[in-house]
Amino acid sequence: MNHRSLAFRLGVWYALLLSASFTLVGVGLFYGLEHYLRAALGDSLRRRSTQIEEIARSVPTGTAVAAIGDAIEIRVAPEFNNRLVRVTRAPGELVYRSGVPADRSFDPAAVPPFSGPWPTNSVTHRTETAQHQALMMSATTVEAPSGRYLIELGASLAPGDSLQTHLLLLLAMLLPVLVALAAAGGYLLVGRALRPVDRIAQSAEQMLLQDLDARLPVVPTGDALERLSISVNHMLGRLRDSIQTSRRFLADASHELRTPLTVIKGELQELVHNDAIGRELRDRIGSVLEEVGRLEHLVSGLLVLSRLDVGEAQRVWVEFDLAELAAGTADQMRLMAEDRGIQIHTSNLARTVVRGDRARLKQVIVNLLDNAIRFTPRGGSVTFSTSAGEKHQALEIRDTGIGMPPTALSHIFDRFYRVDEARSREDGGAGLGLSIVRSICAVHGVDIEVDSSPGQGSCFRLKFPHSRSSLSASSAGTGP
Amino acid sequence: MRLLIVEDDRKLAEFVARGLRAESFAVDLAGDGREGQRYLASYRYDLLILDLMLPHLSGSELLRRVRQSQPSLPVLVLTARDATEDKVAHFEAGADDYLTKPFDFAELVVRVKAMLRRTPVERIDVLRLADLELNRLTQQVRRGGQRIELTAKEYGVLEYLLSSPGRVFSRTMILEQVWDQSFEGITNIVDVYVRYLRRKIDEPFPVKLIHTVRGVGYCVREAE
Repeated sequence: MNHRSLAFRLGVWYALLLSASFTLVGVGLFYGLEHYLRAALGDSLRRRSTQIEEIARSVPTGTAVAAIGDAIEIRVAPEFNNRLVRVTRAPGELVYRSGVPADRSFDPAAVPPFSGPWPTNSVTHRTETAQHQALMMSATTVEAPSGRYLIELGASLAPGDSLQTHLLLLLAMLLPVLVALAAAGGYLLVGRALRPVDRIAQSAEQMLLQDLDARLPVVPTGDALERLSISVNHMLGRLRDSIQTSRRFLADASHELRTPLTVIKGELQELVHNDAIGRELRDRIGSVLEEVGRLEHLVSGLLVLSRLDVGEAQRVWVEFDLAELAAGTADQMRLMAEDRGIQIHTSNLARTVVRGDRARLKQVIVNLLDNAIRFTPRGGSVTFSTSAGEKHQALEIRDTGIGMPPTALSHIFDRFYRVDEARSREDGGAGLGLSIVRSICAVHGVDIEVDSSPGQGSCFRLKFPHSRSSLSASSAGTGP
Repeated sequence: MRLLIVEDDRKLAEFVARGLRAESFAVDLAGDGREGQRYLASYRYDLLILDLMLPHLSGSELLRRVRQSQPSLPVLVLTARDATEDKVAHFEAGADDYLTKPFDFAELVVRVKAMLRRTPVERIDVLRLADLELNRLTQQVRRGGQRIELTAKEYGVLEYLLSSPGRVFSRTMILEQVWDQSFEGITNIVDVYVRYLRRKIDEPFPVKLIHTVRGVGYCVREAE
C-alpha cells in the first residue's frame, strides 16, 4: 500500500474524523442516558413519596404506627417494586422499613440512616450500603397530626449502571469495527473515484509516446474530471504544436543550408583545380573546404536527428543477426583501429536476432566504435560481446580508453556535448554522434547503459527487447 | 550533348552549368518549373537535371509531365532530402538517378556521363595508369610487372580511383562506393586506407600516382 497516496491519506483522515465523531456521540449518549435514567428514577421515587406522604397525613392521632406500614404494603408494595421505603417519626423512631426487595438488589437494613437536618422539601441523594450497593434516595418531611415523619424512598442504581456499562461495552466494540470499515471504505471509494484520473494519466502517457495527434475521450461528467481531460487535451495540442514547430525548424534549417553549401563547395573545389593559383592559396582553400566538409556533416547529422524525431525509421524493419552486423562493421573499421594501435575483439559475439532498421543500427555500431577508437590510447583494445537475459538481449562495446567522469555520463547523449572540449574538437567530432545513437536506439526501444570512469575505459551496453516483443512494439509504434 | 538544368537557385545552377560546359556539354538553364517546361517543349535535350523544389510548377509535377511526353529522356534529380522513402518516391516518379545536396561536382559528372551512355558500359577488364595495372577479372594489381597484394577494401579504393584517372574523388564518394553511408563523415577511414594503399603502390617507386587534393579528396594521375 502506498502510504503517500491520496487514497491512503483520505482513508486515514476518514477514519480519524469518524472515530472522533463517534467518540463524541458515544460520550454524549453515555451521559445523556445516565441523566435520563437518574431523572426518571427520581420522578418515580417522588411520586411514591407523595403517596406515602398522603398515607402519613391520613393516619389519625393515636393510631398504632403499624397501620402506616400496612397501608404502605398495600398501596406501594415496596418489596415487589424493588423499592426501599423507610418512615421515621421525629425525633428518631423507625415507624416502617420495607423488607428485602424481590430482586435482592440491596439490603434495607444496611442502608445508612438519613444524616443532617430533615429537609422540608423533597431532596434526592445517593447513598451506598456497607456492601457497596448504590441507591438513589429521596427524602421529605411530612407534618401530620400524628407527628413529624421523615419519609425516605430508595431504589437500586444497579440496573441503570449495568445498562450504562453495556452501552459502554457496545460502543467500545463497535468503534474499531466502524473505524476499520470507514478507513477501508474511504480507501476504496477514493481509489474508485481516482480511477478515471488514472485512466487519463495512462492515456496521456501513451499518447506522448506514440501519437501526438490523439486526444483523450472527454467524459461529460460536468465536474473536475471533465475539466481535467479537456485541459490535458489542450496541453497535448500545444505540446504537439511546439514539438512540430521545433522539428520543422530543424528540418527546414538543415534543408535550407544544403543548397548554399553545394555552391560554396562546388566553387571552391573548382578553384582548387585552377592551375593559376599558387600552392599556398590552394592549401588555404583546401582548409576552408575541410570546414565546409564539417559543416556538411553537421547539417546531415541534424537532418538525420530531425528525421528520427519524427519517427521515420520504422518502415524498413527486418530481422537480422546483430552479432554478424557488429562483426562485419568491426572488420570494416579494423584497419583504422590497428592504424592507431588498437585491437578490436569480436570473439565473444554470439548469434543475437533482433528486429529493426539494419542501416540505422549499423550507424549506431559505427558511431560507438568510432568513439571507442578515438578515445582509446595506443595499445588498448575494444571488445564486442553479446549476452541474452530473460527480458532483453544485449550488445556490449567495451574499451580500455580514457573513460569519462561520472558528471559527464548524464550529458554524453546531448547534442553538441563534449566531455573534453579541446580533445574532441581536434579529432573532428561534430558532437552529434551519440545523440544520433540515442535517437536511433529510442526508435528501436533499445535501452543504453553506460559504465565509465576516468582511466578505466567505457562500456556501452545496448539492451534490445526480445525479437518477438520488439515485433509487437513496432506494430504498436507504426499504428494507424 | 545538350543538357537542361531546372534549378531555382541561380548560383547553384550557374556553377553546375559552368562545370558541365567545361566538360564540353551544351547547357541551358531554367529558373522555375514553367520555364523548364517551355524549354523542354522547344528543344530536344539529351538529359534533364531537375531540382524537385521549384516555384510555380514543382519539380515532381514537371517530372510527371516529362515522363508522359518524353519517356526516354534521362532525368537526374537534385534533392535536399535523403530519406530512404524519398529516394523510392523519386524513382517511382520517374527519376533515373538522384543526387543529394550538398553533392560533389565530380559525382555529378560521373552520374551524368553514366546516364548518357546509351549502350551498356563496355567494361574495361584491365585498368592501366603508367606502370600500374589492375586486372578486374583476376583482381590482381601489378606495378612495374611486380605483383602487389591488396586487401579487398584497398583494392576497392584503387579500382574506384583508377576508373577515372585525373578526376578527384571526395571521401564521401569513396565511402559510398567502397563502404556504405553508415561511415559517412564519422571517421577518417578513407585516409587510413589511402595511406596503406600508398605504402604498397607508391612508396617503393619513384613516381607517385596517388595524390591528395586538400579539402576535396584523392585522385590518381601520372604527373604532379
